[in-house]
Formats: sequence, C-alpha cells, structure tokens
Amino acid sequence: MIINSHFYKSTIVLIMFAIIMITQGCEKDLPRFVAFEPYSFSNVDNNGGTWKQVHMTNVEQIKIDIPAAPDSDVYKNEIASAKAAISSMTTDDEEIIQYWGNNPIIRWNEIARELAAKYNLIPPPNADGTYTLPDPANPGKFPYFPFAHPPYASRAYAYLGVAQFDALIAAWHYKYKFARPALYKSDATVKQSLPTSDTPSYPSDGAVIAAVSREILSAMFPLEKEYLKEKAEESKEALLLSGLHVQSDIVAGDSLGRGIAKVVLQRAAGDGMKSAQTPKPISDSIKNAAFIRFGWKWTNQETPERPVGLTPFFGKVKTWSVPDLVAVRPPVPPAIGSSEFIKAADELKNIAKNLTTDQRKIANWWSDGFNTTTPPGHWNKFASDNIIKYKYNPLRSARVFAYMNMAIQDAGISCWETKYYYHYPRPIEAIPGFKGILGTPNFPSYTSGHSTFSAAAAAILSYIFPNEKRQVDEWAIEAAESRIYGGIHYRFDSEAGLEQGRKVAAFTITKAMADGAN
Amino acid sequence: MHIKFKTLKNKIIIFLVLTALFQTAILKAQTPSDALMMEKNELCIALIYQNDKWDEYWEGTLLRDNQNIGVLTRNTFMPMLAYGVTKKFNIMTSLPYVETEASRGQMVGASGLQDFGIFIKYQPYELKKESGSLSTFISGGFSLPVSPYLSDYMPFSLGLRTQEFSLRGIIKYEHKSGIYLRGSYAYLHRTTTEAERDYYYADGSHYTTTMDVPSASTADLALGCWLLNKSIQLEAGYIQQSAFSGDDIRRQNAGQPTNKMDMTSGNARLRYFPNLIKGLSFMAGYSEVFSGRNIGKSTIISGGITYQFMLKKAQS
Repeated sequence: MIINSHFYKSTIVLIMFAIIMITQGCEKDLPRFVAFEPYSFSNVDNNGGTWKQVHMTNVEQIKIDIPAAPDSDVYKNEIASAKAAISSMTTDDEEIIQYWGNNPIIRWNEIARELAAKYNLIPPPNADGTYTLPDPANPGKFPYFPFAHPPYASRAYAYLGVAQFDALIAAWHYKYKFARPALYKSDATVKQSLPTSDTPSYPSDGAVIAAVSREILSAMFPLEKEYLKEKAEESKEALLLSGLHVQSDIVAGDSLGRGIAKVVLQRAAGDGMKSAQTPKPISDSIKNAAFIRFGWKWTNQETPERPVGLTPFFGKVKTWSVPDLVAVRPPVPPAIGSSEFIKAADELKNIAKNLTTDQRKIANWWSDGFNTTTPPGHWNKFASDNIIKYKYNPLRSARVFAYMNMAIQDAGISCWETKYYYHYPRPIEAIPGFKGILGTPNFPSYTSGHSTFSAAAAAILSYIFPNEKRQVDEWAIEAAESRIYGGIHYRFDSEAGLEQGRKVAAFTITKAMADGAN
Repeated sequence: MHIKFKTLKNKIIIFLVLTALFQTAILKAQTPSDALMMEKNELCIALIYQNDKWDEYWEGTLLRDNQNIGVLTRNTFMPMLAYGVTKKFNIMTSLPYVETEASRGQMVGASGLQDFGIFIKYQPYELKKESGSLSTFISGGFSLPVSPYLSDYMPFSLGLRTQEFSLRGIIKYEHKSGIYLRGSYAYLHRTTTEAERDYYYADGSHYTTTMDVPSASTADLALGCWLLNKSIQLEAGYIQQSAFSGDDIRRQNAGQPTNKMDMTSGNARLRYFPNLIKGLSFMAGYSEVFSGRNIGKSTIISGGITYQFMLKKAQS
C-alpha cells in the first residue's frame, strides 16, 4: 500500500512536471510577415528608365535636383555623416535593414494587404434596422472608412502598383542619367548590409518606394496616415544605414515619389469610385431595369435587409486597359427554372449535402471574405512569392504588381458591370431552403468575382512567369470551383467569370508587351 | 454503516465527476473538477446530453444579437467512462458528439465527434474529523480532437480543435450534515489549431495556417447538500473562465479560435438516485452565462443518466 501510494504520487508529480515543461516550451511564435532574406537581383534592368510608364506621360515630369559631384565637399560630408550613422548602428537597426531588405516593394505590398484585411469589415446594422455607410469625409466615425471590400481593395492595390512602377521608371531614368555610385562603392571602408547591386544610387529607389507607397496608401486608408508615416521613416532610416545611400539619395527619392503619387492620385480622385456606392433610388432602378429585361432580380437576403448592394456603379469606374466593357460581358445566364438552371441548382444541393473535407478545405482556402486581404490580396501574395522566387529587382517587381493589379481591377470593374446588368439572384435566394458554409456576399451572383479576379491575375502571372503558368491556372480554376463548394455561386457564374477574367487580362497583356520591359 | 457511507460517497463522486464535465462545455465538453474518489475497480458509465442556446453574444465586450444567426443551438451528447484504479487514483474518459445550428440565416451548422478526453485524479490529502472532512485533489487531463472538424468556423465549429492539457487543484470541505463547499482552480494549456487558410488577421497579419488558441484558467466555487434521505442532491455553483491572451472579435466580424474567450456563469444541478435500481441515477442541470467576452450568452440545460457498478469484487 505504501509502495502503491508512492508510485502514484511520483506519477502525478511527473505528469505535473511534464505539463509545466510543455507549457514553458510551447511559446507560439507565429510568422507576422513574409519571411525572406534579402537577395541578389537576377537582373538590374539598366534600361528601366526607357520603359513606358502607365499613367505618367514623361519620365522627367517630376524633376529632382542634380546631385552634388563625387568630389564635392557636400558629397564628402554626406559620406562622413552616413558612416557615422552606420558606425553607431544597433542590433535593432540591423533587423530593420534586413526586414526592409533591398526590395521594399515586397513589404509595401504586404502592408497594403494588411490594411485591406484590417478594413475589410462590413458595417453592422443599427439598432433600428438601418445601415450607416462609411463616410470618406469623416473616416474616423464608425463605421470607419474605408470598408475595404474586394472592389475597393483591387483599386487600392492597382493605384499602389501603378504609382510605384511609374515612380521607379522615373527613378531608373535618373539613376542612370546621374550615375552616382552606391555609397559603399564611393567609399570602400563603408560597411554595407545588403546584397550588392550595380544600380546607381541617386535617387534611392527604396526612398521612392517609401514615399509613393505612403502617399497612395494614406489616401486609400486615411486613418493609417500616422502608421504609414512611421513605416516610411523606418524604411528610409534603414536605407541610410544599409551602406548603399547617402542622405541626398534618400531626399531625392522621397521628393520624386511624392511628386508622382500626387499625379497618380489625381486620376484616383476622378475615376468614378466616389459614386460607386449608389443611393437606393438608383440601385432600385438598376434592379428594375434587370427585372424588366430578364424577369429576375437579386435581393439581399440578410436581416435586416441591406437596402443597396455593394458598389452598383463599380462597373462605371474608369478601367486601366479595357476599352469596352460590353464587349467582354458574358452572355445572359440561364433563366431561373430553366433546365440549365435546375442542373446547376441540383449540383449545389448535392455538394452541400455531401460536402467532403477536401471540398470544404478548398472553399475555405479561397474564401477571402471579411477580415482578409480579399481575393485580389490573395493573388498579390502569390505575385510576391514569385517575385522573391525569381529574385526580381524593385522595378521589375513593381511591374508585376502594376500590371497584375490593373488587370485585377479591370476584371472587377467588368465583373461588377456584369453583375448589376444581369442582377442575377444568389443560390440562397433562388433555391428554397439552401444553405452553405460561406456567407453570401452583398451583390448579385453572375458572374463570380473570385473567378474573374483569379483568371485575370493568373493570366498576368503566366505572362510574367511562364514557368508558373500551370500552377497559377490551376489555382484560378480552384478559386472558381471554391465558390461552388461554398454554396455561393452556380457553376455557370464561375465558368463565365473565368472566361471574362481571361478576356479582360488580354488587354493588359497587350499593353505590358509594348512597355519595353520584355 | 461503513458500507452505507461508501455508497453515499460513491454517489457524490460520480455526481461530481459528471457535473464537472457539464460545466465548461461552451469551449470544451469536459474537465473533471469533482472532489472525491471512486472505489478501486468501480466503473461508472454515463451518457450526458446538453442543450446550449444563445441569441446574444459578446462581440469583444459588446453584447449584441445577430438576426442572421437568430438562436444558435449547440447539442452535445457525451458518453463517458470513469474507473477507480485505486481509491486514491481514478481515471476518466469522454467522447462528445456535437451538433450546431442557427435558427436564421443561410450558414449551415456542423456536427460530428469532437475531442477525446482522458483525465486522472489523485487524492493526496484527506483530513477526517467528527464535524466533517477536508480533502484536496489534483487532477490532470489531456484532450485530443478525433475528427477533422474545423475550428475556424465560428460560431458553428464543434470546438477549438486543439490539444488541451489541464491541471486542476481542488479543495473541499464537507460538514457532517451533508452540506459541502468546494472550490477549484484549473490551468488549461491549449496548443494551436489549424485553419484552412494560410493568412489570417488577428491584431495584425499572420502568415500561417496555425492559430494560437489562448490558454485559460477556470475557477469555480460550489455549494451543495443532500436531501430526502440522501436520494436527492442539490448543488449551486459559480464558474469564472478567463483566457490569458487572444484578440477581440471586431465589429461585425465572425469569431475565430484566436479570440480571448472569457465568461462567468452560474449553475444549479439536481441528481436523483431511485431506490429501485442500485447504481442508477438521473441528473439535470441548468446553467447561465452572466458576463463574457467573445462568447455566446448561453443558457444551458442538461440531463444525464449514469450507472455504476463494481467491475471486480472489492478486496479488503
């Protein structure tokens, strides 16, 4: 008995000890940003200054000062103060340098995605059953501006990409025009912390990126101005400590970036986004027009009902490359109750009834709903992964984001034009008693936004990374399929969306092929 | 007299084991916080049903309704086994089946087996006096998901789909009149859960499918007594559960397993031992969440049937 008791006591003590060990040992450190090491660029693109800009008309539209001569006292003093700063660098500074790396485009895209996720929450109903929409004139009043839904996010990513790309073409132009060598080349005693590159240093491309990104994102996410300022300052500090730049490289980059952002933002101010969220009378007339034309109409199924769908006039926002939206609009979907419709509805009912774990995983993997970076954000992550994989320099990285996000936004505009033209009801509305595992969005069904966004993004990524074509095409098809598994789209929504996305992207690709970067 | 006392004691044990298993079912369907031991070689088989409903929940700290959920119902069916390895060392297992459903909206509920739980309990100290007795207990447990249910499907998910290690200390004083007071404190260490997406936002970006499920503590206090010739037992309790970390559900967002889920609740329980069949008992419970954070304002009713018997003849 004594032995027994002792045995059990020991067991308990051991178990307790094990639990404490596990508790102590399981610090759950999860990755908060994309992990990658700064890398040597596969190509420096020394003709980058000759590439065609997207929005800017002239590569010297924004002027920068002529840099001080290499043998001038001004430049020598700059070298001395950069060296002084580098010599007093802390371990924290070194971490910050590695975080920003030599391709801050990746970080700024990541910041944009995080802000999209942060602001991607739909306004809740008020106590009286009405809804209040975010007010751009008063962004800090709840519900906060913006509601970064997929159309909004697609536009933010596109402006960010275009402004970065145009600014970097200008930066490349000036770099090779002024040909100031990197700091560590001007002074061999300088310790530099990033992989070397032969790109001239004036203006600093990192500073151009910081300035342009800060300006664009501050306009898109006005409540984040302070945060974005901090990030830009941190990035510029890292540049100065990296051993690549002196202060005037950064100052010139900053002014170039801000100048170009200002011009690009003028386009944003007049692109029609302000009127995309129509008042109810207009929304009702769009709905009635569809009902008269086709005999069906979509209605929001939430309680309380949302009186207006999401951005009915996003289809009227200015496109980047598509000349005629009607030409890319898919044909009329099957009539409600037609045999084609019944076939599609039966498929949905069947899937919902026998949903496999694999189907559930696909639906969730691509759900990209509230509190996420949206489907365009998902594709930006893929673009970012491939930029790292193929070791692209900042200019070529910006080109990927610019063209992909222009195609994605055009896909969204085209898709929304189609959605509100046909005003087709969702499965939960047209199939009695139907339920799914995903929340149905607040806009009509046909065509599927996911499918359209994804096909367009995959087309651009295939064009830029031909080796990835198989993978990205598979993803686009899976993204389209995921909406069927989730119970929020009919198969014909997804198939038409894929086709539409490919058609839209073809216009972007034609433009990209002529920009001088190939 | 001795035998009678043992029977009573066993009744209390099983009652406490089972009622303890009820109480934290909002997050997990098990946690033994009872305060007595079963006899060596004694086996108890139980089936417990629990019906948990809420029509309001805390979005962060804001109590709200959601007409696209209406009433959320969570039914749990939990078979359970408890066994006395020795008088001072017991082992328990449980395997709940859970189903969830919303009365409104277009989101489909979930159903399936949740987590297998195994617990051991050890009684290191007992002081018996004429006026009553004071005892302390330590219990440790481990639970493990047994089906591929998705935790990142709030509020419909069957559970948090994480491994949970629990360590609990219990202290109990029982007066000779049959009135008792019990308190316990537990540390629930939870590992992580796997989402079906590789990016999520929880106070910032996370580039992983892995979600940190906050560990938690629970404290509970119960006052109980025996009535009608010890065939009816009544108990009232108070439970406080707090997570050590986690984010709040943001306005109009869905919950996720990373949330800091806190609650305080009160409960009342009744157990009846019919004289006709030895070893059989019926139990009923009612519990209500008073305050919370990132959790439903649940009202829980529960019922159970238990049967206990000696697996082998008792050795003296």
